[in-house]
Amino acid sequence: MDRKPAVRLTTILIAVSVWWTVTAQDFARPSSLNSVKFAAIGDAGTGASAQYDIANQMTRFHAKFPFDHVIMLGDNIYGGQGAQDLVKKFSQPYKALLDIGVKFYASLGNHDDPANNRYPLWNMGGQAYYSYASKNVRFFALDSNKVDQKELTWLENGLKSAQEEWKICYFHHPLYSDGGTHGSAVDVRVAFEPLFVTYGVNVVFAGHDHIYERLTPQKGIYYFVEGASGQLRKGDTRRSAMTAVAFDQAESFMLVEIDGNQLSFQAISRTGTTVDSGTIQRQSRTTASVSRLVPPAR
Amino acid sequence: MSGHDSPPRHRRVALRVSGFVLDYLFALPLGCAIALLWANTLPDSYYRVANATAFFVNDIGIVFFFALITKEVAEATIPGGALHPWRRAALPVAAAFGGVIVSIGSYLAFTHWAGEHMLESGWLAACAIDIPGTYVIARLIFGKHPAVPFLLLLAISADAMGLALLAVSQSLGDVHPVVGLGLMAVAIGSAAALRRGGVKNFWLYLLGPGMLSWWALFLGGVHPALALVPIVPFFPHGRHDRGLMVEPAPQAHDTLTLFERWWRLPVEGVLFLFGLVNAGVPLHGLEAGMWAIPIAAMGRPIGIVAAAWLAIAAGLHLPNRVGWPEVLVVGGMASIGLVFALFFATAVMPLGPLLLEMKMGALMTIAGGGLAFVVARLLRVGRFAR
Repeated sequence: MDRKPAVRLTTILIAVSVWWTVTAQDFARPSSLNSVKFAAIGDAGTGASAQYDIANQMTRFHAKFPFDHVIMLGDNIYGGQGAQDLVKKFSQPYKALLDIGVKFYASLGNHDDPANNRYPLWNMGGQAYYSYASKNVRFFALDSNKVDQKELTWLENGLKSAQEEWKICYFHHPLYSDGGTHGSAVDVRVAFEPLFVTYGVNVVFAGHDHIYERLTPQKGIYYFVEGASGQLRKGDTRRSAMTAVAFDQAESFMLVEIDGNQLSFQAISRTGTTVDSGTIQRQSRTTASVSRLVPPAR
Repeated sequence: MSGHDSPPRHRRVALRVSGFVLDYLFALPLGCAIALLWANTLPDSYYRVANATAFFVNDIGIVFFFALITKEVAEATIPGGALHPWRRAALPVAAAFGGVIVSIGSYLAFTHWAGEHMLESGWLAACAIDIPGTYVIARLIFGKHPAVPFLLLLAISADAMGLALLAVSQSLGDVHPVVGLGLMAVAIGSAAALRRGGVKNFWLYLLGPGMLSWWALFLGGVHPALALVPIVPFFPHGRHDRGLMVEPAPQAHDTLTLFERWWRLPVEGVLFLFGLVNAGVPLHGLEAGMWAIPIAAMGRPIGIVAAAWLAIAAGLHLPNRVGWPEVLVVGGMASIGLVFALFFATAVMPLGPLLLEMKMGALMTIAGGGLAFVVARLLRVGRFAR
């Protein structure tokens, strides 16, 4: 069998990917003075070199894109959960960011110690779920490990009374995911999604699957999976009709900016390569759209 | 030949086993099988239905399953019963205590080792031993051997310890303990008054003290599935017990027997629904935490044997014809958690992936039945003795 056409096709694909990669790095974040800027990391707390590399990239990007807080999507500390672990797997890798005043707002994953909701640097206030606002954005950090009626009632009241233009929810287990190891947490989806849809949540971030993925809007809501900020499962994506962009070849993190009715996002790999970026317009939720999309660097 | 004069051996055994147990063998696995199929093919609709009906099944319907289990215990305390006199239960209780301690220890050690810290709060599910399931396996291996009541007492004791821990360690919803305690006092007092007044109609016990007890537990923050546990012992009963989990005599018309006869079929439906609502777990994508309950179950025989050894060293005695090989096999059987593990899991863990892992673990403990057969065969115990 003549394998040359296949080899040629592969070469072309690699060349295109490299071109996209190089081009992607030109998409600098549109850093507006009055915008809400934040980063997102998930499944980060390994204490291994990949986490430190990601943290270094976050610091490097902070110089160009001065985000003021980081949302943590759970599994913030793997293995031991003692004071030394919190240093090695959190405060040391992100020291440069902490030193310049960047705040971290955590949600907890299945590998986290529930008692760590009292860890001051995670700003959880001793709660498994909580809410805070930044300018025109209301954030809801939820507990997807244990979803009880109390949390659902709190969430419904919070979403109902939120006056901010944007409503963003984040937690550990993804409602939609093409990760081959875990995939969508349907039982959690059945509990959360009706509230998200009813009360106009715009964007949802989750971790758990150790990949980066942007999904096509589901019932008008944008979903991101960022569970590769320390852990990684190479090649774990099982692409489906709901996959918009997925990247599972290296660890990654996200930068997000919300300026008025526009949300811009950028997913960046351990080596500093932009693997996905785009903009979401907050019109009515059902007509929101993503523009300026960049395919993943693979 | 004598074989022509009497039914075959397995037929004789089946005739004596309570119909409740036989129903259990049919209804629960059917519900579990449908749930597994449904949850893995149409998960959205499954979880919607399961979440919407869980309260009615797990907090109301299952009350009557626990009532039938309580009936067995209540009858065991009358002459001829396995718990008459009470000191007969001392060794199984001690063995159960050892099993509970080592199970909980194994569970916590595993969740810590595996880094599944969020699961640590589910340790109570490690106590659970499935009473009807272990009974069926015990009858299949031992026939009518004294090891069977030994196992049942052990299982009932372990679950009672678990339920007691559940009552004191878990509070559900908005708790009103004073109101709950007051209502419970009225419920038990009215049940005692009905008994003293010679009331034999079990409906009066259910609709009065039973409903009061349910509200008392609900308002007090204790799982209301246990509502009839303090009420059923007040039901008038026969003078002599035929044994744990055996069919009542056809001529028996005491309140407890009538209660069992009436509720057997509805409880079969409840068990089907319990399996349907609770056993739907994804067969793919769960974390290592799903092994926590099976590992706790594997630790349980060690605790049972060790505690039995200590109890015997302290002066207690094994029942006649029960030796260490039988105790080992009983320990293996006690690793089945199934419906009780599912119940405890749903009682201690809210909806979410952690609950699914625990449920999967509870279902996996069915393998304990196979383990018991292997151990029995290796040790030439029960049906393998010949």
